[in-house]
Amino acid sequence: MSWTPGDDAIHVVRPPAPGAAGGTYRVFAETLRGLKTTFARVAEGVHTIQYPEQKVPVYPRFRGRHRLHKFEDTGLEKCVGCSLCAAACPADCIRVVAAENTPEHRVSAGERYAAVYEINLSRCIFCGYCEVACPFDAITMGNDYEMSDYQRSDLIFTKEMLLAEPVERTPLRAEGE
Amino acid sequence: MPRPEPKTITFTIDGREVQAPENTILVDAAKLGDVEIPVFCYEPKLGAPVGACRMCLVEIEGIPKLQTGCSTPVKDGMVVHTQTDRVREAQAAVVEFLLINHPLDCPVCDKGGECPLQDISFGWGGGRSRFIEPKRHFQKPLELSPLIAIDRERCILCYRCVRFSQEVSEDYQLILHERGAQTFVGTFDGHPYVAPFSGNIIELCPVGALTSRPYRFRARPWDIEGSGSVCGLCPSQCNVTFTVRDDRVLRVLARQNDGVDDGWLCDRGRFAYQAIHVDERITEPLLRDGGTLRPVSWERALDEAASLLKKAGSRVGALAGGGTTNEEGFLLQRLVREVAGSEHLDAAGIDPVDAWTLLDPALQASMQDVEYAHTVLVVGTEPVDDMPILDLRIRKGVRRNRVKLAVATPRPSSLDANAALSLRYAPGGEGAFVAALTAAVYGGDIEAPAAAADASVDEIRALAELLRTGGDGAPGDVVIVWGTSMLAADGGAVAPALLKLASGLNLSGREGGGLLAVPAAANERGLLEAGFAPGMAPGFGETDGEGEAHAVAGIAAALRAGDLTALYLLHDDPLVTRADTHGWDHALEKTTAVIAHSQFLTAGLLEHANVVFPAESYAEKEGTITHPDGRVQRLRPAIGRQGSVRAEWWVLTELAKRLGTDFGVLTGAMASQQLFAAVPFYNGLTLDTIGGKGVRWPADAALAAAYPAAPEARRDAVYAEAAEPNGALRLGTFRSIWVGADVEASPALKFLAPRQMVEMAPSDAQRLGVRHGEKVLVGGDGASVEAIVALRDAALPGSVFLQTGITTNAANVLDGPLVEIRKA
Repeated sequence: MSWTPGDDAIHVVRPPAPGAAGGTYRVFAETLRGLKTTFARVAEGVHTIQYPEQKVPVYPRFRGRHRLHKFEDTGLEKCVGCSLCAAACPADCIRVVAAENTPEHRVSAGERYAAVYEINLSRCIFCGYCEVACPFDAITMGNDYEMSDYQRSDLIFTKEMLLAEPVERTPLRAEGE
Repeated sequence: MPRPEPKTITFTIDGREVQAPENTILVDAAKLGDVEIPVFCYEPKLGAPVGACRMCLVEIEGIPKLQTGCSTPVKDGMVVHTQTDRVREAQAAVVEFLLINHPLDCPVCDKGGECPLQDISFGWGGGRSRFIEPKRHFQKPLELSPLIAIDRERCILCYRCVRFSQEVSEDYQLILHERGAQTFVGTFDGHPYVAPFSGNIIELCPVGALTSRPYRFRARPWDIEGSGSVCGLCPSQCNVTFTVRDDRVLRVLARQNDGVDDGWLCDRGRFAYQAIHVDERITEPLLRDGGTLRPVSWERALDEAASLLKKAGSRVGALAGGGTTNEEGFLLQRLVREVAGSEHLDAAGIDPVDAWTLLDPALQASMQDVEYAHTVLVVGTEPVDDMPILDLRIRKGVRRNRVKLAVATPRPSSLDANAALSLRYAPGGEGAFVAALTAAVYGGDIEAPAAAADASVDEIRALAELLRTGGDGAPGDVVIVWGTSMLAADGGAVAPALLKLASGLNLSGREGGGLLAVPAAANERGLLEAGFAPGMAPGFGETDGEGEAHAVAGIAAALRAGDLTALYLLHDDPLVTRADTHGWDHALEKTTAVIAHSQFLTAGLLEHANVVFPAESYAEKEGTITHPDGRVQRLRPAIGRQGSVRAEWWVLTELAKRLGTDFGVLTGAMASQQLFAAVPFYNGLTLDTIGGKGVRWPADAALAAAYPAAPEARRDAVYAEAAEPNGALRLGTFRSIWVGADVEASPALKFLAPRQMVEMAPSDAQRLGVRHGEKVLVGGDGASVEAIVALRDAALPGSVFLQTGITTNAANVLDGPLVEIRKA
């Protein structure tokens, strides 16, 4: 039920009622215009990405699974176990237990190293604050996004897992792509 | 010295009118007006400010230059500005200057996150450094001692640690080497800084230069939680904060309570927490099965213990150790008295009537009285071993308030150097010495008792003169710090003589003076007040029991004679803590049932216990303990109980239930409530009112009035004469601060566990032909212990001193008043 305001209240502009020509145009021409896009894509070929056989390359700043790093020359871990990432983490998913380096057992460059470094990826919200907090660039957000697993406990990544190269590398989008 | 009368003045800070007590240091007074002045070197606990760091510069109208807020007392009408451009510029410059040599290695530094230098650089610093030259470098990290790591690069030379060592603990070990920009903190020749209070410098350090080795890299401030409680390891009962991470105690920090600890902690209190988390700790009930102790279920252990107790009937004796809370003592005395119908229970080993008369609230001095008294007499105790924090308090009084200190002990005391008068008497002559002193104050025969105590009459006269006149003719408050071990040695004579001495000096009902007992065990006073004493109900009341109630020695004798067949040990092992090891060994051999609560399998339990219940550590306990000056303090659980440990009140209640009595205790707080209701002078206390700082019941008029009137002191007391050496040597014993299962179990403190030393006068050593450091055998009739000779110049010739309670070669096995020394 339409409501018509009084003429003194509002000046109402109404479109012309569609005639036969106008009606026909509306039904077919606009539809065909839409279909043009459809058929153009059909001509382009199939765009489905056959995940997981095929993977979408991610942008360089994509925040995927964390990686811990070592110095390339000395092989020492960059992480000194300062726990600042754990302090910055809003999801409280990082646990660091530090220990002291000894001359016989040197793990990192500083006095201390992370004896335990765990990230609970089932809690992580991939905000990247840990990367921002890290004073030694020891932790960065990697490109991997394939992290689902059958056990929650398997989602707790240990230091060894975070230091290792990912088993399958996620493709990175090239410059300008 | 009397406490200063505070006078309130008004001054202006940042345009705000603030009222403060006159002569308050500006930094503290500013806080009253919600103004914060940044400081590094200022720490009120350390005494007079030094103004070393220049961080606290403020502008005061009328003074052209900026002034240090930490060394300027406020005066009436003073106008202070802390937010002007001049002040800001100065503060930023000081921060920049302090950071010149600081390595800024915050991510690696243990102080990071709780560091005043971080906070002040962030809050008051300029944020930029112009210094591009190389910083100074030191070798790091270095061990200042096995407990403390030093990083000299981080040091900002605030002198706090050096001041602590020189002026508070007075061990004079820490010094500043070199001068100017080369200055660094260290000890002479790089010796390790090992002292009873060394750990305090970790907490004092405003940067990460001094860090705890046991806590090194264990956690970050955001990983941890603080949990306030009370240290239950010695009678000082210092207030502490446990640092907890993942349900483990990682660190112990002081929690300042001026009425108890003044904000300091001894190293035992600071590092012995490690014993909570060691593998040696008993975490499940053990039952003797075929000769060895095996872990069993709680049900089985409780059933077994209950049936053993049932079999023993009323022939049960009970001992409680120092770590027992008031509630546990109260419940165990209910179990022994109400359920078993026995009267044979003891903790302190002193006559409870003596304790009753001496703990009278009218005679009670508080910890703070020690600091402000005119004269302090330390008699029959070595504070640094028996109650370490009291040692610091006495030193503080002498140094800052010109308290006159007199020391009268058998063994040379560490306070001798601070004392106006220090004198020696023979071990075993406690009663005679106090009688001689009383006679010197009152008038009477001094010669006979002085001769019996082998003390000098002139010295006793001088001491009496000092106590009576305060040394300068202005008699004032006198605090007598006395060791309760004197009662155990010669109870019959010491208590009446002490009471007479106190009334001769007008100490009764006097504010600022009185007696302060130094107990031998942590909660000795609380256990006495909770009724854990032979023949004395809670609150020094009458008991229903008939016949003689055995004390410690009596229980041992009754066990040997077969009059008692079961022994309940609550945190106690008579083979370790009590005298006469052989007698106890024999007694435990004859005992049918030994039921024990313990954290560790000590010698006696390993050999003789039938059932061992795992005991809670003091960080897991819930309940109250009573400080020697009458302050009821509350223990709060900081961590969950380890393993399958259960609360002691629960175990005692369950046992009573199995024996047919329901204590009506379902929670720890209900046990406290029962205790407060049963002890007249605890009436009306609640866990809430006790709170974090405790309640000193003798200072509360209503509670003190509820103290039952003590019986008249015995007048016919006869003092014992100290044994005549006649070529042999008198045996005196002492217990080092480092004695205890907790110290032995703590990895960090193990290096401090004492070895047996025989302390003797050089003249005796010369006569016997032994040298300092030589290994000798010290023997009485039958038994002997191996010890190393330590010569003490101030020792009384004719007496030697051995340690009790240590794991091997403890003096507990020797019982004779005289011993002989042979070369090993």
